[in-house]
Amino acid sequence: MLKRILTIFARDLKVNMREFLTLYMMIIPLILAVGINFISPSINDTSVNLALVENENPKQAAYFDDFAHVELFSDEQRVEDRVRSRDDVVGILPKDNGYYIMTQGNEPESILEYAKLLNVLYESDVQLEDARSEIVEFGRTVPPLKKMLVNMLLLLISMLAGMLIAMNILEEKVDNTVSAINVTPTSRSAFILGKSFTGMFVALFSSIACLLITGFYDINLGQAALVVFSSTILSLLIGFIQGLNSNDVMEAAGSVKLLFLPLAGSIAGYEFVTGNWQIFFYWSPFYWAYKANDMILSKSGAWPQLILYIGIILAICGAVYAVLAPRIVKKLQ
Amino acid sequence: MKLLSSFKKELILASRSFYFYIELIFALVILAVLLFAVPENFSSTSTEYLYLNLPKEVKEIYTDTILESVPGIEPEEVELEADGKTYDAQLIVTDEEEIYIVDNEEAVRTLAYSEQVIGAVIELDDNNQPYYKYYLQGYESTRLKNLISILFNESTDVLEERIENQEVRPLSTDYEPLNDRENTLPPLIAFSGSLMGMFVMASYIFLDKNEGVIKAYAVTASPVWQYLMSKIFVILLTTVVSGLIIVMPIMGFRINYGLFLLLLLTTGFFASSLGLLIASFYNNLTKAFGVVYLLVILLMVPSIAYFIPGWDPVWIKIIPSYPLLQGFKEIILPNGDIAYPLIASAGFLTAGIILFAVTNIRFKKTLSV
Repeated sequence: MLKRILTIFARDLKVNMREFLTLYMMIIPLILAVGINFISPSINDTSVNLALVENENPKQAAYFDDFAHVELFSDEQRVEDRVRSRDDVVGILPKDNGYYIMTQGNEPESILEYAKLLNVLYESDVQLEDARSEIVEFGRTVPPLKKMLVNMLLLLISMLAGMLIAMNILEEKVDNTVSAINVTPTSRSAFILGKSFTGMFVALFSSIACLLITGFYDINLGQAALVVFSSTILSLLIGFIQGLNSNDVMEAAGSVKLLFLPLAGSIAGYEFVTGNWQIFFYWSPFYWAYKANDMILSKSGAWPQLILYIGIILAICGAVYAVLAPRIVKKLQ
Repeated sequence: MKLLSSFKKELILASRSFYFYIELIFALVILAVLLFAVPENFSSTSTEYLYLNLPKEVKEIYTDTILESVPGIEPEEVELEADGKTYDAQLIVTDEEEIYIVDNEEAVRTLAYSEQVIGAVIELDDNNQPYYKYYLQGYESTRLKNLISILFNESTDVLEERIENQEVRPLSTDYEPLNDRENTLPPLIAFSGSLMGMFVMASYIFLDKNEGVIKAYAVTASPVWQYLMSKIFVILLTTVVSGLIIVMPIMGFRINYGLFLLLLLTTGFFASSLGLLIASFYNNLTKAFGVVYLLVILLMVPSIAYFIPGWDPVWIKIIPSYPLLQGFKEIILPNGDIAYPLIASAGFLTAGIILFAVTNIRFKKTLSV
């Protein structure tokens, strides 16, 4: 049986490689991981953007540069033009007895308060050298936003693995070979397992590679692989049902879009919904996978907690399989 | 007439397809999520752990100052667990913060580390001046660390008074901000509606290529562009219906629907033409997958800038989804800029026409690939 499973896996891999699909699925997440590395430092350094008049007060510009992004313009009109642009830039301009703050009027309150605070600190001559404080750092280097993006990427990879399965099944359907499997010595379970291998292989390879590229090499990769594996099982299940239910790529594409909704909802729920309201997301395995990944990426992962999360994911997958199994078997007939 | 006839035929085919209904169901689900699961305003409270290593009287004054800042709040005695240990704390919840005052520095350090939030120890220096020791994670930017280190060099009362007295001259005063629910609309409309057109259009063409429909056009009197345009019309119709399903119940009659439809249609046309162009280079979706996938991800990047005020690098602005998001935002903003969506629509229409013309030439030449 193992030989047959491997034959199906090798066959899928060969077909996918011929059309570069597996390669795309494996390489694109890596490109995204590089993209995350590229944008996250600048996002983490996000502060208030200030527009000042060049040479009007170089000391002030140098002072603000320690706390905010400073842009210098030749005159007040150009500062005003910059403030009027679509992004959030606040101007600090001279008046008779000091400086005033020029805003477009649509900036978030936090940005305006930050600019006011900086101007007050400057006017009060509060210098960094006079700081009555010390900072102790824990040595963490990965900012929360990067962690969030990497976590989203991991879930996306498991989704894509499901999509790969759906595409492979669809290809078999188009070639009318799904029913032909019934007259071969290959059992249904061997067929299902064989078809799943490509997705699992892609998911595990891409996830681990992305974690390494994004600098998470000191997390527990074993724990991460376990979560990826468990969330991929759900994607595989959905991939199978999508592939078997869809008659063409249009329908499969539409189903994938629907699948994005619980995924995006679970992430948004975990990140933005507070306290007791999170209970409304407990049904979603993506929620638990995201939570488990978050714990691992934060390096605060304890095995008992992780096993609980994985257990929940597998239990939900089991329930989904129990519901979908008769349909899968029927479609394979 | 041939175009109209092709459009009618495409519409009938689409109405029999599962995909058409998925789009509508998707729009209804998004609407339900927005109405029932997304609050009008997200509560964003930050957490901090504090140890007041101060004489009892000073400690009381400090705590009272926090309590007086928000009338009616009462401290609550709580127990916190971290790293297998339990710590007693006094919890003070304000509109913006949850402040836990703990009994020793070790508690601050452990809690700040395990919860990944800021921790601070306040004590008196040799001159009886407050001295602050902050526990930070390490990934905070240098600029933020600079600010934190001098934040309390001046007394809070003095700072607050001076901040209040700052003169602010807004260039416009008729701005009304969107609530969080309304603010999520532009990305949803942009990605679920306009930009999905690219993916769907490519899928449509690959399906027809597979069935040999495009080759059949070589022997019909109808030009290929009409066939392609009829496909685009179907997608635009789906986009408009699903867009209105999401926007109308949330925004009511507060927005300019003429402008909304204009931007939705022109951006949909642009995305569909882009999808057509991609489809003209490949035989099937599998082969085009890499390009479509990368493009979708690239087009999603401006949504990060959309949600992070202050992060707006120049390179983001040349990605087409940037003006798309900003255009939709201007439309739903009360007193929004009308010129911006109009200019964006003109730009998307022009780009769409160019892409469509190029695609038409490619399809006419090959009629298959």
